[in-house]
Amino acid sequence: MIELIEQIRLAARAFAEFGAHLFDPTIRLGVTGLSNAGKTVFITALVHGLTRGGRFPLFEALATGRIARASLAPQPDDAVPRFDHEGHVRALVERRDWPASTRQISELRLVIAFQSLNGHQRKLTLDIVDYPGEWLLDLPLLGKSYETWAAESLALSRQEPRAGLAKEWHAHLATLDPAGAEDEQAAVIAARLFTDYLKACRDKSYAMSLLPPGRFLMPGEMANSPALTFAPLVLTGVGPPPPNSLWAMMRRRYEAYKDVVVRPFFRDHFARLDRQIVLVDALAAMNAGPDALRDLELALGQVLDCFNTGRNTLVSALLYPRIDRILLAATKADHLHHTSHDRLEAILKRMTERATAKAEIAGTKIDVVALAAVRATREATVRVGREQLPCILGVPFAGEVMGGDTFDGETEVAMFPGDLPDNPDDLFGSDGSAFRGLTSVSPQGADFRFLRVRPPRLETTETGVPALPHIRLDRALQFLIGDRLQ
Amino acid sequence: MSKTRQRRHPAAFRLEEPGSLTAQLSRAASASGHSVEVLPEPDFAPPAVAADNPLPAKRPGFRWGRLFWSAAAGLVLLAVGLAVTDLIEGLFARNLELGWFGSALAILAGISLAVIAAREAVGLMRLSTVEHLHQRASNILIDDDRTEGKAVARELLVLTRRMPRLARSRAMLESHLGDIIDGADMVRLAERELMAPLDQEARRLISAAATRVSVVTALSPRAALDIVFVLGAALNLLRRLAYLYGVRPGTLGLVRLIRHVLMQLVASGGLATSDSIVQQMLGHGIAVKFSARLGEGVLNGMLMARLGLAAMDTIRPLPFTVLPRPTLRDLMGDLIRGYGDGEERQRPPQAIPQSPSG
Repeated sequence: MIELIEQIRLAARAFAEFGAHLFDPTIRLGVTGLSNAGKTVFITALVHGLTRGGRFPLFEALATGRIARASLAPQPDDAVPRFDHEGHVRALVERRDWPASTRQISELRLVIAFQSLNGHQRKLTLDIVDYPGEWLLDLPLLGKSYETWAAESLALSRQEPRAGLAKEWHAHLATLDPAGAEDEQAAVIAARLFTDYLKACRDKSYAMSLLPPGRFLMPGEMANSPALTFAPLVLTGVGPPPPNSLWAMMRRRYEAYKDVVVRPFFRDHFARLDRQIVLVDALAAMNAGPDALRDLELALGQVLDCFNTGRNTLVSALLYPRIDRILLAATKADHLHHTSHDRLEAILKRMTERATAKAEIAGTKIDVVALAAVRATREATVRVGREQLPCILGVPFAGEVMGGDTFDGETEVAMFPGDLPDNPDDLFGSDGSAFRGLTSVSPQGADFRFLRVRPPRLETTETGVPALPHIRLDRALQFLIGDRLQ
Repeated sequence: MSKTRQRRHPAAFRLEEPGSLTAQLSRAASASGHSVEVLPEPDFAPPAVAADNPLPAKRPGFRWGRLFWSAAAGLVLLAVGLAVTDLIEGLFARNLELGWFGSALAILAGISLAVIAAREAVGLMRLSTVEHLHQRASNILIDDDRTEGKAVARELLVLTRRMPRLARSRAMLESHLGDIIDGADMVRLAERELMAPLDQEARRLISAAATRVSVVTALSPRAALDIVFVLGAALNLLRRLAYLYGVRPGTLGLVRLIRHVLMQLVASGGLATSDSIVQQMLGHGIAVKFSARLGEGVLNGMLMARLGLAAMDTIRPLPFTVLPRPTLRDLMGDLIRGYGDGEERQRPPQAIPQSPSG
């Protein structure tokens, strides 16, 4: 019933917008990505490049000079904070630091004035939303009952390496009786321990991705509310829970979480997208190990399944807009020598195979690209004796460790992160020993080391800040919005 | 798993001072004792193609001309049909056998007209397929779409299926279809493999035609005669080039091809950037000094070569990227040399730039 009402609501809104956009076309660009994938940097670089005329040779409309100007405009939703574009650019250029982890949702509207190929003056509005990547993991919950979710979460938490991190929570869980009476204190403790376990999984050396519910990790203004005070239980019985039991309470709160948190988020920001870029930080998972990589694969599959993809027909455009182009981007490609970019793309393609096959059948165009929205490194060849290593030059953050060396955040270092395999399947071995990551060995023994690198040093000219360097951002733009600028 | 073991280990090297060429080894120095050199590389840029051939503008507004011609043609067709029906009715009125004979003739004419129309339509379609392919390939060079690149390569293979001289190249290209190759690189690969032999043949055809035209002009006794000859040679050249690149246009297709070639000729003047007009004028002027006839011959040959180049640009399924576009100078070289020895001689195979990856 709720689903039906939601559908009608969405259709009504889509219908109203269709009329409004007939003369002033708008693209809703969904920038999707788990936390730390680089959404904020991507949006900042994209807006900066378009408004300040970045170097985008492969973005046809800009390269041939058909874009007269692009400017920021007041956003459509008054209740949503504005994306702090200027602040992020300043942080990048002046402090040479990446934007901090996004804590709340924000929005930005960009108006591109261009001349179409047959000479008409046109305007294209681009709506972009930035949000904490943790919240993305909530979307798959929409289709799951409390019982399903609890069973899945438990099963997941009993696998290595998660089991080790969940010990404390498991111990507390054993003391709880789902059929027992409601107990607020038990729920609070269970939720706290469960949250601690999720947070531990996110540590850099485990880098797990599939950690719903997202608000547990990034509560925003909802911290400590009942809708965020629940946890999975070990459920044995089937059928409806006994009234006033702990089980019933948890279940009620889970449903409240879906109603209050997940559904509005989905409705306002995901149900009406036209184009989608999915940013994936595969390198962090490769730092951690095969388990993290498989976890990322699972999380991506679940998230991609939530989107409404396919070719738009007139009816669907009116009532049920679909995403007709998806770009899968392996971000932070500047942490690899460009000769390895193809392999990185192959790995991402391998991870999203199933979900993209489904979308492609529905008629969605899909492309995979290795991308760096802001390029922080240069390239070099290091000759050690007779061996030549394709390296990258960059300044790692203070405290980063590689090969027993700790860096101070000021010196430039040539890094060789390790060889990516020709065949991506080599990384997805079934026994979990396909390669060694931080989960199982010390930094010295790991097969891949991708250090966090500081943003590049840029000279500020009189005209403002110079164009931010990038890798394939122009190609991404061409794919995402190039066809609407013809 | 054996592959895993062969992977090189991650390593870091501290630069002594930013931008310095030598660096001190921070790891493994003691282990191997080798010296370490850091060679900065020039900025990597993804394959970029200058968009000098932007997407063609769609003609704004309604095509009134097209509507007019369609409507007028419909009227003419109706008139013809009416006249034929009247004629056959008249024949029947006069004599039954004559009527049957007349209707048999009309049916035969109708059937053959349908076949001719179908053939023309196929020819036109083939021409537009090739031109569309050219456009798609140019787009791929800009946006580097991998799946699209493969699709274009496949279509090229279909297009060149009937060309025996490309058997080896086709096999080579087919073997690469499964590899991970960027879209733009795929187009470049296809051009190198499939277009190189055809380009050579096209160049030979053009310079042969140019030579013939200039010789005939220089020797012909009447101006009218060489105009006819030049026109005939031009048509022949266009048709042969079209067949060479796999188009096989019908009569209408040829007409459209001529129109496009003329448009191309007007747009570019048939010149590549490396040709200078001064040089041509000088060459022509010197030839005129020797003999007015000879000068005229050289001029006509040059026009023919220009026409051939424009046709090549129009009808080649791929744009020129890795292979050099033949210049007027190359062709004029052939032309001058062509005076010495017999026409259509076998040219030695040209060196073709090899792919860096192989």
